[in-house]
This record gives sequence, structure tokens and C-alpha cells, in this order.
Amino acid sequence: MEANANCASKSPCRVFEFLESSIGKKIMVAAAGILLCGFLVTHLAGNLLMYVGGEAFNRYAEALVSNPLLPLAEAGLVGLFLLHIVLSIRATLANRAARPEGYQVYKGKGARTPGSRTMAVTGILILAFVVIHVATLKYQVGGQKGPDLFAHVLGWFANPWYSIFYVLAVGGVGLHLSHGVQSALQTFGVNHPRYTPALRKAGLAFAILIFLGFASLPVYFGFIHKTADACCATMEGGSK
Amino acid sequence: MNITLKVWRQKNAAAPGALVEYTVSGVVPEMSFLEMLDTLNEQLIAKGEDPLAFDSDCREGICGMCNLMIDGQAHGPDKEATTCQLHMRRYKDGDVVTVEPFRAKGFPLVKDLVVDRSAFDRIQAAGGFVSTHTGGAGEANAILIPHDMAEKAMDAASCIGCGACVAACPNASAMLFVAAKVSQYALLPQGQPEREKRVLAMREAMDKEGFGHCTNEYECEAACPKGIKLSNIARLNREFLRATIVSE
Ligand code: SF4
Ligand code: FES
Repeated sequence: MEANANCASKSPCRVFEFLESSIGKKIMVAAAGILLCGFLVTHLAGNLLMYVGGEAFNRYAEALVSNPLLPLAEAGLVGLFLLHIVLSIRATLANRAARPEGYQVYKGKGARTPGSRTMAVTGILILAFVVIHVATLKYQVGGQKGPDLFAHVLGWFANPWYSIFYVLAVGGVGLHLSHGVQSALQTFGVNHPRYTPALRKAGLAFAILIFLGFASLPVYFGFIHKTADACCATMEGGSK
Repeated sequence: MNITLKVWRQKNAAAPGALVEYTVSGVVPEMSFLEMLDTLNEQLIAKGEDPLAFDSDCREGICGMCNLMIDGQAHGPDKEATTCQLHMRRYKDGDVVTVEPFRAKGFPLVKDLVVDRSAFDRIQAAGGFVSTHTGGAGEANAILIPHDMAEKAMDAASCIGCGACVAACPNASAMLFVAAKVSQYALLPQGQPEREKRVLAMREAMDKEGFGHCTNEYECEAACPKGIKLSNIARLNREFLRATIVSE
């Protein structure tokens, strides 16, 4: 057992070796993924204030932007995204290389799920969405500009293409999570004959709730609530 | 009955390969899949053609040599069965069956359906053992082992190193095999002295052989002829994380 001989007790080297290893890489991808799930929950909680009303939503957004710690949190968030993406890409490339000549017929025995099969595709979709989402809603590229974020968001949701893309993208998030959450638990070594079946169901339920929560916003404000008077007054005049 | 086979033929690792179609006549339901291939070879030899190269040894499901990808499934359609335990009663007259070698960078092709799985031996040699004094057999109850631990270790140890987990994995990952080999020692008192060194060394050997990263697709467990469980991979992940932190 000569392994780690050159890495013996030098801790930076140990950390590097961990990150370079197949198992270490996936533990980091999973950890970043779970933390990003935490972000999704807080983001959704904030978004749901739209149902309370434009005032509440704008006040929340105001409080968030004026918090001096926000840039730090944002940097952390970008770091998590980058870690998750870079390590996933590297693992995917290594996996391609691990089977240079593929099968003519590959069927498997039915263990893969729609979510697990599409992790790369949904990942790319989510990344594209995040870029567009941040550009349009945070930096207000295009659409109705101004300090009234609620009106700005409603303006975008009024565009059916934007709303449809939004729903599709958060569908991608749900599909990604349907595999990702239980997969992360397995990666952390959480596997127990009694709890794992329940945890897998909980992971799926979480994915569905996240999807429904986010998707409900463009559906409601883009297609259902649109005709109501309250909305249009806000849209035209702004709340300030 | 007649079976039409589309079999991967390739002279050697460097030569180009392709699926070649053969019709095997005189197949009976009692034959195993390998006996059906033997029949094909008899017919090929009678025609003066080069017989098909494929591996087998025990032909009773315990050695792990008979590794074939049959219609896109490692060891064929049956659950928890090796290729040699697959029988032609599964098929009917006129069926078309595609047979390919196990595919992975870690399993280089030798000829036709034969691949070199010595990567598994090297992983095993890196840490899949206990260093102990081998004198006369010790008193059986000198080391107390809880029954469930003994059972779990035994379940893990039933891995026959066939490589179906790698073949079935979309990422050609060897995690289930390595997990089984790490677990069989990690679960027992005899495995404790080398617990951290073992998992670090075997992980390193596994990656060096060019196997892919596990993304929890779980096709390995579905393909394993010995029913090795995913919980072993979770244990491997825990063991690796633990060893990374605590080993000196
Ligand atoms: S874990 Fe199962 S499929 Fe993999 S080598 Fe062992 S017996 Fe074969
Ligand atoms: S030939 Fe030994 S397991 Fe099939």
C-alpha cells in the first residue's frame, strides 16, 4: 500500500488529492449542489412574496439590495455555481474518456431515471436560464426599467415567450433535482435500508415543490392574473 | 431452433472491429448461452472459419469470467445471473441477439469478445487484503463479530469481479466492484488496522486504471450477477471521506 506515500502528511497535498479523486470530486459536486438547493429555497421564499403584493415584494427586494453583506453572499453563490459546474464538466469529460468505444446496443436494466439521464442537458439549460434571468431581472437588461421591481417582473411575465421559457427552465431545475438530491445523499454515504426509500421520495417531493413554486409565478402573473385590474394599474403606474 | 447472432468480431486491439451476423442452427432450450456460442464455433470450424473468441471458466456462475454484453445488457436479460447461467429457453426460434464485449478503457479488448480485466487485479493488489500472520487457523470465536456484520461482509465478498458493473455503467465506473472489496474488510475487525490505507490506495488504483466517475445511475446494482448493493458504494464514499480526514 504505497498510495499517499508522497502525500503523507502534507495537508494541502491531501486536499488537492481529494479534489482530484473521482470520489472527492463527486462529494464536492454534491455538496455545492445541496448548498445551491438551500439558495433555491430562500429565493423561492422571497419570490412567493409576489403573491402577498407588489409592496411586500419590493420591500423585500429593497432590504436585500441594501444589505451590505449581499455582495459577499453573491460572490459565494457564484463560487458554488462555478465549483459545481467545473467539477461536473471535468467528471463528464473523464467519463466520456472512460469508454472510448461505445456499444452498438445499450439498454441497461432500467435503473436510470429521466432525471439521471438528462443531468448534463438540464444543467446547461439551467445555466442558460440563470444568465438570462440575472440579466433581465437583476440587471434589468430589456423590459420596463425603474425602481419598481415588481412591475418590472410583471412586465417580463407579460411576455408569453419569456414566461414559457421560465416554466421550461424551472422544469429543468425540477428534473435536475429529481436525480440530484437523492444522488447527493448517496454520495455523502447516506444509505440506510430503512431511511433511504423515504429520503428518495423526499428528494423527489422537494424537486416537485421547487418546480411548482417557481413555475406558478409566471403562470399566475403571466397568464391568469394578467387580466385583473389590480395588476394593470401596477403595471402602468408603478407602485411608487 | 435457429438464432441469428450479431457478434462483435475484432482480430486484436489494433484491428478495426464490426458486428458480424451468423445464424446458429440446432439450438435447444436447455443450452446455456455459452453452449449456444460453442455450437456456433463448431459450425464455424466446420466451415473452416476462425472461431469466435469469448471467455468462460467455471460455467456455474462463480468465477466471473463469462462477461458478455447481450442485447445491451451486461450478462443478458436475467436478474442476478452471469452469462453462463443464462439459458436459451429465454429465446425463441428466429430471435436476433446482439453480443458485444464489455466496453471500458480499463478493460482493453484482446480479441472478439475477450477483454483484459487485469485492472481489477491491480486494484485488488493495491489494498484488497489484510496483512496478518498466517499460521494455523485461530480459534474461531477469539474475535467476536456480530452476526449482521458477518452477513454484510459476506454479501460484499460474494463479488466475483466479473466487471458487469463497469460494463453496465454509463460512465464505465468501477465503484461497485471497489466498494464491495473495500466493504468486505471495512465491516470486519480484521480489516481495521489497514482501514484507511486500504481505501485510499484502492481509490487511487481505481482512478489510475481510467474508470469513470460514479454519478449514481445505479445500473451497476441492476446488472450485478451477485446482487452487490449500492449501500456498499455509500460505504466506500464514507470510508474515503473518513480516511482522507483522519489518516495521517
Ligand atoms: S460488483 Fe457485481 S457486477 Fe461488479 S464485479 Fe462484482 S460481481 Fe461483477
Ligand atoms: S463462466 Fe464462471 S461465472 Fe460464468
